[in-house]
Amino acid sequence: MKGFLLTVPVLLPLMGGGILLLAKLAGHRRIGGKCLERVTLGVVSFNSLLVLLLLCSDMWGRRVVLFRLYSNLSVMFKLDLMGGFFAGLIAVLWPLATLFSLAYMREEKRKGTFFAYYVMTYGVTLGIALAGNLVTLYIFYEMLTLVTFPLVLFPLSREAVLASRTYLYYSIGGAAFAFIGIIFVLVFSSTGTSEFIAGGILSTQAMTQQRDMLLLVYVLAFFGFGVKAALLPCYVWLPRATVAPTPVTALLHAVAVVKSGAFAVMRFTYFSFGASFLRGSWAQYTVMAAALLTILFGSTMAVKEIHWKRRLAYSTVSNLSYILFGAAIMTPFGLAAALCHMAAHAFMKICSFFCAGAVMHQTGKNYVYELDGLGKRMPATFGCLTVASLSLMGIPLFAGFVSKWNLCGAALSYGSSIVEEGKWGAFLPVLGVAVILYSALMTAVYMLSVLVRAYFPRVSEGSLKTAETEENDVCANCDPGWEMLVPLFIFAGVILFMGLYPGPFLELFGRIGGAAA
Amino acid sequence: MMQVYDLYATGFGGMGLHFRLDGFRLVYACLAVLMWTACGIFSREYMAHYEKRKRYYIFFWATFIATAGVFLSADLYTFFLFFEIMSFTSYVWVAFDERKESLRAAQTYLAVAVIGGMTLLMGLFILNNLCGTLEMDEAAERARQILSGGGDTAGERKLLYVSGVMMLVGFGAKAGVFPLHIWLPKAHPVAPAPASALLSGILTKTGIFGVIFLTCHMFSGNGAWGLLICVLGAVTMLAGAFLALFSVDLKRTLACSSVSQIGFIMTGLGVSSLLSWAGEENSLAVRGVFLHMVNHSLLKLVLFLCAGAVFMNLHELNLNEIRGFGRRKPALFFSFLMGALGISGVPFWNGYVSKTLLHEAIVEYRELTVHHTLDVGLSGAPVFPEAAKVLLSPAVWTVTEWIFLLAGGMTAAYMLKLTVALFVERHPVRQPEFDSMGTSYMSLPGSLAISLPAALLFFLGLTPSVTMDFIADLGQSFLGGKTAESVAYWSWKNMQGSLISLGIGIVLYLGPVRMWLRKRVGDTWYYVDRWPAWLDLENLIYRPVLTVLLPGIFGTVFTWTDERLFPALARTFMAVSAVFCRAMDQMADGLILLARKTTHRQVKEHRSQSEGNWLAVIVGTAEDILLGASDCLTGRRRRLGCRPSSVGRMCERERDAKHVINMVEESFSFGLMLFCIGLCTTLVYLLYAFFV
Repeated sequence: MKGFLLTVPVLLPLMGGGILLLAKLAGHRRIGGKCLERVTLGVVSFNSLLVLLLLCSDMWGRRVVLFRLYSNLSVMFKLDLMGGFFAGLIAVLWPLATLFSLAYMREEKRKGTFFAYYVMTYGVTLGIALAGNLVTLYIFYEMLTLVTFPLVLFPLSREAVLASRTYLYYSIGGAAFAFIGIIFVLVFSSTGTSEFIAGGILSTQAMTQQRDMLLLVYVLAFFGFGVKAALLPCYVWLPRATVAPTPVTALLHAVAVVKSGAFAVMRFTYFSFGASFLRGSWAQYTVMAAALLTILFGSTMAVKEIHWKRRLAYSTVSNLSYILFGAAIMTPFGLAAALCHMAAHAFMKICSFFCAGAVMHQTGKNYVYELDGLGKRMPATFGCLTVASLSLMGIPLFAGFVSKWNLCGAALSYGSSIVEEGKWGAFLPVLGVAVILYSALMTAVYMLSVLVRAYFPRVSEGSLKTAETEENDVCANCDPGWEMLVPLFIFAGVILFMGLYPGPFLELFGRIGGAAA
Repeated sequence: MMQVYDLYATGFGGMGLHFRLDGFRLVYACLAVLMWTACGIFSREYMAHYEKRKRYYIFFWATFIATAGVFLSADLYTFFLFFEIMSFTSYVWVAFDERKESLRAAQTYLAVAVIGGMTLLMGLFILNNLCGTLEMDEAAERARQILSGGGDTAGERKLLYVSGVMMLVGFGAKAGVFPLHIWLPKAHPVAPAPASALLSGILTKTGIFGVIFLTCHMFSGNGAWGLLICVLGAVTMLAGAFLALFSVDLKRTLACSSVSQIGFIMTGLGVSSLLSWAGEENSLAVRGVFLHMVNHSLLKLVLFLCAGAVFMNLHELNLNEIRGFGRRKPALFFSFLMGALGISGVPFWNGYVSKTLLHEAIVEYRELTVHHTLDVGLSGAPVFPEAAKVLLSPAVWTVTEWIFLLAGGMTAAYMLKLTVALFVERHPVRQPEFDSMGTSYMSLPGSLAISLPAALLFFLGLTPSVTMDFIADLGQSFLGGKTAESVAYWSWKNMQGSLISLGIGIVLYLGPVRMWLRKRVGDTWYYVDRWPAWLDLENLIYRPVLTVLLPGIFGTVFTWTDERLFPALARTFMAVSAVFCRAMDQMADGLILLARKTTHRQVKEHRSQSEGNWLAVIVGTAEDILLGASDCLTGRRRRLGCRPSSVGRMCERERDAKHVINMVEESFSFGLMLFCIGLCTTLVYLLYAFFV
């Protein structure tokens, strides 16, 4: 029964969040203050510790069925390399993000509700990471929509209501397409269940006889899961959801939700359909083209956007498609590169969002053009932002460079391998490299313009006036407290470490990729 | 020949780093140390009055490390890594004083660096994919195999050329080669002078380092490539010299001069590649290239620091404002004069040696084309056929030689212009003030930092067969030179080229520069900028393309997608699904509605109003009376009470009837009218048929 330990990290935050909600309903008075913070932080860090312990233990490959819904539909958890990687990533990020958001939300009312859902989301995301079959993945995937929906709704402004409605429609609609895929996998599965097995579980008979049908279903499901990863036709919810408080946008819309989408796509591609079945088919070219288009689109829109958080959200749109593009290469190297970018982007984007959050919290400034000269007043925050920005651009020595390098390498080697096979889609991977470089250029524009403004303010007639106001709120505009800075420093440190010494990470990703494809 | 040392840092940055120390790298490492020391000493004085000195020094030394890393790298990955860091840290130099022009220039610098870096990266990806490695030696080896037909397909060779050109764009952007030279004239005038000295003296050489790798390692002995480099070099050489001649800003002139000198180096590289393609000994060219690189680094160090000495006192760079400043300042005069004589290629100064070698190389190749000894080499070499014609035509190379001499002459002319302006002419107003600064304008360490390197220029030029040959021996193996030839630098034949150049220079100075590029106002002459303001590649092409065209196209497409297409798609989807859902909904509702309208229709309430409906009132009243009477008779009234009046019901009937009649009338008259029109048409037709 040792396997049931696997369910604890999933259920514990769910229960914790539930208790917080109940306490709130019961009108517990003390739940608003220090007690709430302690409970939240305690549950989250204990859970992270548990996950990390699990990863260090001998639980690898163990599977546990929590309960059966109906004959071959079971809720099952499994710890394999890929799920373990995602769970580990979440477990590292969540306590730090919680620390940040506790400080960020301290002045808010109704924060009891907020943290209840925040904690629950942790459990649900871990559920996606540790899900052992497609059905479980799907259940937690839908749950993720439901528990994050109140978080987007949290400000209760008109915009927030609209944004959360959009989010709900898109997510549930996307999941409906994914559902079609699940049914087909179940019907044509060679094992009779939807369990994830590296290399895919479709029966050989189905692969030959129902080939085109299955490919169509794959494309549908890719776009379905792609909704959470903000793939092109269905990205609208992501920039709109930036009305939520910054910790939510940072963690959920740069890490948990969008990464769950990408993770689900990878699971679906490599563990259900099988990369070898899809490689070189029209379905692969379709999804690859969609990912490339999204990269182009996202990075261009980010340049046009002047609201800082929305700009970052568009940047997420394009970066998520880097991951999808890597996944769509469907070679071991491609998956490894995609995972590498997934990890690197998680740290880069959460770091940039938190910097934006710190600035908003300290100064209330939302737009890029308001940031003139802030670099000197908030040196620590903007130092971390510089690291994250350079990394996003793909400057050497930072994590982003490593992942983009691998992504382009994977694309080019796949491109030359399909040239040898004489397939027509060979231009797509090479085009992908060009698109990634274009996007890197755009990233340089939209990230550097923020930094340049912050460090080299435009000297204008208003400079006297700003100097005056600077005198007035000199304390309000300085760096935030340690609770916000510590996560930022850790994220920036990880980015640098991954950039300077990526060997062990790359080896891990290579192993996952090698096992999966 | 010296021992080669290798250093590996495995695992760093994913692919591991590989450093090497050989002759070429040693010379440039030493140069970097020398230049940073001199600039560091000078910066203490130059920066004394600026705030944010700390930021300047941090990026000053960060760039030093990055530049040293570039020059010591032995694989392209390491090279690229430090190259990018160098680009970003040196950006801060340009933006340093945060004025509007500085920020704009810095923007240009950053844009060129980032775009160049991205293009370079793309080239590296392709090269890595082709060769499977980025180690300089192995990649070059593999590239030569592919070029010599050892590759699998012609496609690979084509891809190699693509990769080479992309890398050339990246390197060329940093070096300031012609269409990408735009950042130099913008960034130098606004950057602090020590930073300019380094930017121009050594940072551009990192780009040349890359071009040397491409030309002498990857495409060694490739005629087409050599021609490409040669053409780029010649254009850069001439364009830079033209810009410099027209400029009236001290540092801008020096910056344009850098562009021009980079052109000299590129031309030499191209010719050396052509010579080795022709199967000839190319060590003359190679040594010329390397020595000119070293000389130019030292020359620009001295010249820019002199400009810095002017700027830190006057905060002006316009020739009209600073003229006469150098009078009675011997240290400044000495340093600037050494630099000017050196860069103009006057015999006994260092520039003469390298320019002579470059000139000899061009002449050597021209001789080959004249004597048609090249036909043998052509048959086996894989060259584009169009390029072969140019390569073999002696006229082309005679023209190249004259371009070379002309550019040398222009160098002399603009240096003469600067020297005369600074040290001979007098400022109409501030001259006494300038003269009073005789001792206070520069401190001792600062003046030593300038004049010692300046003395070195002269020393190198006086002892070429000892010092310069030693440097060339160290460096030439990296550029593919093999033998150590001793050249008679002081022979009449070699001096000729230099003297022709100087002659051209003096003619140019006395003619156009003094006559046309100056204007007389009252008693004094003023230097005027005759360069047409619109003729600026950056504002004419690059900025519009980058800031208007590209974002315009992509932005419009994507905004349209975002604001029109997707909402329209969403609306269409919603509308279609709404219709569908309503239809499904009405399947059930429809039955109920149908029943309500027919079998389960509700009883109408009759209103008892009688105004205007006299017929209905009469008929209704009559019916009332009749029914009342009959009720009275049958006794129904007693049992059920009075009936409601029939007048209202009748009124309603009458209204309905009237409405129907109305409709009928209207439709009838409409029908009649149509019928009439029809009849008339028929009539007209009959008349028409009858008469025609």
